[in-house]
Amino acid sequence: MNREKKRKMEGVIALALSTLAAAVGLFWLVFILGDVLVHGIGALHPNLFLNDPVPAGIEGGGLRNAFVGQLLITAYATLIGVPIGVLGGTFLAEYARRTRFARVISVLADIIVSVPSIVIGTFIYALLVRPIGHFSGWAGAVALSLIMVPVVLRTTEDMLSMVPWTLREAAFALGAPYYKVIIQVVYRGAATGILTGVLLSIARVAGETAPLMFTSFNNNFFSWDMNGPVASLTVTIFQYAMGPYESWHAQAWAASFVITLFILMLTILGRLILKWRFKR
Amino acid sequence: MKQSIELEVKHLDFFYNGDVHALKGISLPIYKNNVTALIGPSGCGKTTLLRCFNRMHDLYPKHRYGGEIVFEGRNILSDGEDLIKLRSRIGMVFQKPTPFPMTITENIAYGLKLKGVRHRTELAERIERALKHAALWDEVKDKLHAGAYELSGGQQQRLVIARALAVEPDILLFDEPTSALDPISTAKIEELIVNLKKDVTIIIVTHNMQQAARVSDMTGFLYMGELIEYGTTEKIFTSPDKKQTDDYITGRFG
Repeated sequence: MNREKKRKMEGVIALALSTLAAAVGLFWLVFILGDVLVHGIGALHPNLFLNDPVPAGIEGGGLRNAFVGQLLITAYATLIGVPIGVLGGTFLAEYARRTRFARVISVLADIIVSVPSIVIGTFIYALLVRPIGHFSGWAGAVALSLIMVPVVLRTTEDMLSMVPWTLREAAFALGAPYYKVIIQVVYRGAATGILTGVLLSIARVAGETAPLMFTSFNNNFFSWDMNGPVASLTVTIFQYAMGPYESWHAQAWAASFVITLFILMLTILGRLILKWRFKR
Repeated sequence: MKQSIELEVKHLDFFYNGDVHALKGISLPIYKNNVTALIGPSGCGKTTLLRCFNRMHDLYPKHRYGGEIVFEGRNILSDGEDLIKLRSRIGMVFQKPTPFPMTITENIAYGLKLKGVRHRTELAERIERALKHAALWDEVKDKLHAGAYELSGGQQQRLVIARALAVEPDILLFDEPTSALDPISTAKIEELIVNLKKDVTIIIVTHNMQQAARVSDMTGFLYMGELIEYGTTEKIFTSPDKKQTDDYITGRFG
């Protein structure tokens, strides 16, 4: 066999293998999303959003408590995690730029991003649940915010590093102090990138279950009280899917559909912002 | 056209990274309302010298100044110098245009706001004056709220000059301001520099000797961190005293 033929053969084999791998991956992806879509839409009902859970066997129950609880926990997690992440990223990219310290923190943040979220959950359990003696929405929000911090921190650091250094020099040359250079010039240049990072980090934690099981736990009743257990969609899905009742299963499907849609929209929004940014 | 002295450099030494001796015992007067050009081959220290005038080196660790730069009777290299104030008196324009990611108006308002100008009509007035001063007004007056990145490279550079002029500095430093621009934009910037000298003192670093000859009144030739020769541009380009200067001017090295 001459070399040209051999190369062509290798090309065909590589193409076939990678196409197969892509097809296998995509098949399951589409299967899962399609399944959630079919079962989820079928189970959607206004009651789901308007009513709280009722005992099994009684008609008309919903998951209003879980929707509100999920939003509550995610919102507080964002309020805690985003400022810490953005300020931390700012410190690394600006004040500690090119120092060994900054590099070590960056690597540590990358490691924490890939730590299983259940580890974070148990950590917060030991820190905020056991000493206090009961589950709380706050513990859940803190656990989620801990997952957000390294994501937001690294995105912020990367986005700030992408702002050309000469832009900072130009601002300094006009007589601006460093904090004004950062807030008024550097943040302006990196704003869309940081916003995208924030949205994607929200999308990331909105689907977390493990950290919440040990912290905010779950609550069958409607509650605004972040000091007590707060319901969340993900933990509810876990419970309902494991439960014995048909109606629970249907509601778990519907909840899965809604949360998937929510994450999808956040991700699309993040992508759109990025695209818009690079068009300019 | 020498006049009074605006800035006096006395035995200036500068060290990078603790021990790289980049400027060696430089002394020269900068005359008010003159354009002073600093020329020399790459790495000769001309940009390093320029960045001493607004203490830009202070942004980086492990630098050290020696000697003095006297401005308004005080040594601006002293530790107590208020850099924020100094930099609002001595502006700088960089090699590549550096508009901020804001609108045209906001770009110019930036320096003014740093100086505490808040009143809307005063801001608008001074923005217009600065843009006219930088010969950009006619091109942008209908799109003042457009993003600065929509302008061409040459327009961006004039916008940056307008931004520096808006705070009414005494001195403007130009660091190879046209090296990233096309010939037509370059001609416009050069014309602007000559027109500006009635209001500000200008120091320009350039690797383009024709440019130095066209725009400057005084020229300093630097080589290996030393000021080889300093004099009127006419003298430096026609009958320099030093052989090294003559060799560089005539293109024998550099």
